[in-house]
Amino acid sequence: MTDLPLDFGDPTELGELRAQFRVWLAEHPLPQRHADEPVSTFLNRWHRLLYSGGWVGLDVPTQYGGRGLSTLHQVAISEELADCGAPGVPRIGYLAHAILEFGTEEQRARLLPRMLAGDDVWCQGFSEPGAGSDLAGLTTVARRDGDHYVVRGQKLWTSYAQYSDLCLLLARTDTEPTAPRHKSISAFAMPLDRAGVTVRPLRAANGDDEFCELFLDDVRIEKAELIGAEGAGWPLAMTTVSYERNALDTGHISKYGLVVERLRRAVRERRTELADGLISEVGQCVVDYEVLVAHARRRIAERLDGQVAGPESSIDKLLMTRAEQRLYETALRVFPEALLEEAGSGELFGEYLYSRAASVYGGTSQIQRNIIAKRLLRLPSGD
Amino acid sequence: MDAEEFQAVRDLLRSFVTRFGVGSGMPDPKTRAAARQTLDDLGLSELRSSTPPAATAQECALLAEEHGRQPMTTSFIGTALLAPELLRLLGDHALPECAAPTIALTEDLRFPGVNHIGGLAAWDCDGADAALCVAADGTVTVLELGPPAPTADLGRAVRTIPKDSPSQELGRLDPAQYAQWQAFALVMVSSELLGAGRSLLEQSVEYARDRHQYGRAIGSFQAVQHILADATVLVEACTSATRYAAWSLDDQQPTQALKAGRVAKAETNTSLPEVIRAAMQVFGGIAQTWEFPAHLYLRRILVGSLTLATTPDLLAVLSGADSEAAA
Repeated sequence: MTDLPLDFGDPTELGELRAQFRVWLAEHPLPQRHADEPVSTFLNRWHRLLYSGGWVGLDVPTQYGGRGLSTLHQVAISEELADCGAPGVPRIGYLAHAILEFGTEEQRARLLPRMLAGDDVWCQGFSEPGAGSDLAGLTTVARRDGDHYVVRGQKLWTSYAQYSDLCLLLARTDTEPTAPRHKSISAFAMPLDRAGVTVRPLRAANGDDEFCELFLDDVRIEKAELIGAEGAGWPLAMTTVSYERNALDTGHISKYGLVVERLRRAVRERRTELADGLISEVGQCVVDYEVLVAHARRRIAERLDGQVAGPESSIDKLLMTRAEQRLYETALRVFPEALLEEAGSGELFGEYLYSRAASVYGGTSQIQRNIIAKRLLRLPSGD
Repeated sequence: MDAEEFQAVRDLLRSFVTRFGVGSGMPDPKTRAAARQTLDDLGLSELRSSTPPAATAQECALLAEEHGRQPMTTSFIGTALLAPELLRLLGDHALPECAAPTIALTEDLRFPGVNHIGGLAAWDCDGADAALCVAADGTVTVLELGPPAPTADLGRAVRTIPKDSPSQELGRLDPAQYAQWQAFALVMVSSELLGAGRSLLEQSVEYARDRHQYGRAIGSFQAVQHILADATVLVEACTSATRYAAWSLDDQQPTQALKAGRVAKAETNTSLPEVIRAAMQVFGGIAQTWEFPAHLYLRRILVGSLTLATTPDLLAVLSGADSEAAA
């Protein structure tokens, strides 16, 4: 609960960890991308370098290749990385947690060390053309065939599938019309080099090819590749998305901080040229950002206080969306020249276009409001 | 305070607020006096009167929130928290022991700024007999009170300060103390307003569960659910901002605390009026009446969003456009 005093400060050991990381970073300068190097190769190189220093999977137990520390240690390192403008690290936290929580001991031992080391790159096969907000309506089917499953269907928005080795896949294992929707879905760790898998990158509005379509034509999956029990895929999916929505993913927040600083600098340098209304908007972006920092620290403090993550992550997601979308709208008004040049990803207009997706991915803003209304406010359902 | 002691103090304040909260129409002078006496007897002005203080800023913020949960006619922020904190920061001063001061703001209820030339008002002065004014250079003076001043916030006592009020200089805050003082004031006012916003929102959620139309609870309609969900997000944003700013007062440098305090006030200034409007919309017709207290909450929040620092004041500083001294 929020009605008792909280300690918003870093526990001492987090401060020590940050200091150690900064020392390591000084000895291992940020890598530069070579001229013809594909982004994925570059990011994987960076991931492996971080792993060699022990900076990946801090909250994963040591026997699976992690460091056996808390989520907060992982958060501190994500924050440090974003603050120094490091390239984005493949976000494996939520996948690792799904396997930790739902996988068998054999699966944890086999999958996690390779995931953490960067030997296996993972993607997430949840959404489908006909199952977006209504994820439980997915129609990809995994049919039992002796000691195998045969998977048939189509996935959408599978980020970076073209660079991935494995996919955390959701498919329906019980197709009886009477089967309860939420209890007939199973999760699989599907290798993407299997026969019958076709990956088609989808060009995003900003020109990036992050999203992919995945076509699955009678792909054979071994029984050992089922994660958790048959029919237990839904809780796994919900765990995964609530990690995705969390304000503790402070890498995002630090990234906003860099843009906010750019806007403040513009206000200082172009004070007389910018309209008062625009200066207020910049002030509002500062407020949004600082509130988000305070909010993330509150979540950390609550976590340290022993509270577990739950549906309140929908609040976090809406606050992040508010901050991100206002920030880039304002940035475009402060730097209108961004609209008058060819812009790819990484540049302001590309980032602006990406910010439009914030209210859609990981559950739309409307879905988040439904979750708040039903699960936090306990308002009655319509039927 | 340890956790148990703090909860005991808060329970006392909670019972007081439940007992004297204004439910319908403004109370008569006798009831007001009884409320004032009961609050005085709780001795809460001791919380920040010694160094180190008996209560942390975060504990005070939580108590301020508690006092804000119902429309009250009593003063708590001005008289029990802000004035004692100011005197505490000042250290040795010549204010008579028996005086019960509140704080002085400009006539439009803002912090007196560098270029301030207009009149002053004693803010949140129920039970107060003097007002402490902090000038922009940190000089603290004590002033006499004049007749009541009108305000749309019916429960909040405000009095004019006569132009010819004799003023006695009590001392001077150094720049760090001045930042600490402003931060403390911003956090406590924000917290009281937050208590009001959270409380009315909770009441409207309760109402949405009970009130039926078309044969079902109105809270089952998605259109109503989304209004309440959005308001919840805003209340949580205000909570994070004010709580963090309060902690900053206890654990960070005054300049950092002041920045966090400004952020908290800016968030509450814009978000809480939205929260109150959302709650009133859910209450429908009853919230448009004099007898129902929603308008008392609205009045408190609207005047509150102008108090100490307005949104334009804060955004200009936070954007970096205005120098620190101007706000």
